[in-house]
Amino acid sequence: MTVLEQLNGGGVYLICGSIVAFIAVVCIIFMIRAWRAGKALGMDVTRMKRAVTASATFSVLPSVGILLGVIALSGSLGVPWPWLRLSVIGALHYETQVADAAAEQLGVSLGSGSMTAQAFPTIALLMSICIMWGMILSVLFNKKYLHKLQQGEKTGERKGGGFGDRAMTAMFIGMVSAYIGSYVGEFVSGNKKLFSFSGSWTPLVVVAAAALAMAVFTYFSEKKHMEWLDNFSIAGSMLIGMLAAVLIGR
Amino acid sequence: MEKQSIYESYLKSTHRLGRIVSVITLVLLVGAPFVIGTLLGAQPDLGAVARAFLSVGLVWTVSSVVEFLVYTPMLGSGGSYLAFITGNLINMKIPCAMNAKELVGAKSGTAENEVISTLSIATSALVTIVILALGVVLLIPLQPILQSETLAPAFANVVPALFGAMAYKYYRKDPALAMIPLTVMIILFTLVPSLTSSTSFMIIPSGALAILLAWLKYRKEMKGAAGQ
Repeated sequence: MTVLEQLNGGGVYLICGSIVAFIAVVCIIFMIRAWRAGKALGMDVTRMKRAVTASATFSVLPSVGILLGVIALSGSLGVPWPWLRLSVIGALHYETQVADAAAEQLGVSLGSGSMTAQAFPTIALLMSICIMWGMILSVLFNKKYLHKLQQGEKTGERKGGGFGDRAMTAMFIGMVSAYIGSYVGEFVSGNKKLFSFSGSWTPLVVVAAAALAMAVFTYFSEKKHMEWLDNFSIAGSMLIGMLAAVLIGR
Repeated sequence: MEKQSIYESYLKSTHRLGRIVSVITLVLLVGAPFVIGTLLGAQPDLGAVARAFLSVGLVWTVSSVVEFLVYTPMLGSGGSYLAFITGNLINMKIPCAMNAKELVGAKSGTAENEVISTLSIATSALVTIVILALGVVLLIPLQPILQSETLAPAFANVVPALFGAMAYKYYRKDPALAMIPLTVMIILFTLVPSLTSSTSFMIIPSGALAILLAWLKYRKEMKGAAGQ
């Protein structure tokens, strides 16, 4: 039995499925409580219904996009683990990058063949740990933070604007640059020989194909007012980039 | 006045419930790799986890802090506990809650916003859970195809595919700034090819350089604006 077969086994489905089920129950409890509170506070039921319907329809397309992400990760991590991660906590760009960084530390790569029984628990643990801060901060500071905001002014809707947004963009620019730089280095100075041009160029083609696909998605969503396409842009571009790798065949 | 006390007791119990379920979720998510490890007959290598955390983990920690500070006031208490548990914030939960809020005309910081954003985020998370569960059931029979030799190169290139898509998305926001870390990284990786085995660590200098450049640009713009 291969590791991937084990990762797609009933036991792993059961573990991941139970956690997803637990979180579904949490959502239902929060929903019922909010609904009751709304009624007790004299809010208009039709407006609450509208909020629920609008949110449900709004979420359908992004969820299909997230499902494509599960497919993208299933080749290296099996189906149930990406299913859990993307159902309840993560986001595709986060999961992929963290999984890859953990794989790098272990000297394996996120390809279908190289996953080992030793590597998987480590990768999975890192994926869990790196994204838990939102929850930890909520547990520790949500109440205090909101209380403080309430006491202060009630206007501050956009906290952390200004440089915060730009720093986030810059951080992602830096992250992307490191990876693209490594693909260029891998090709140009491949097999540890400077300027040998003997490394693999597949990642560079994949980067180009995915970036081009993203440009096309962005063009249609911005210029042709097909905003719904945004829901598929990242996952769709990734699948197109991956398709390029299949066409090259290596 | 009675409504005020109903709202206050709702908030109080929401914080209690939110904290309890967040802690349970944390325990489940951190515990799962150990349980799956037992099934596979191997446990996580904590040293490797620590090393990888020092490189990538720090980046995501910073982004989590920013997300917490920015989104919590938008979503209210119930909404933000749920959003941080269920994830997919920027690509779904935030726009979804903002959309619902605009539809019903609720303002940030009000009781109405608290209720609407909790309803919105809970609904959104449930839709994702249902669609993914259906999708996963449909994926099971497709397993042999997904694991075929022909598709192997696709899965081996998930990461370049992600960074290609992200490159277009983020580079176009500030192409001039992006060229500098990109050029520096290309030169570094070309001259020191052994660095490719620690790419995730190189995010730190590359990200620091990009943030520094963005800061210099921001300060210059602020000075320019103040001078006018």
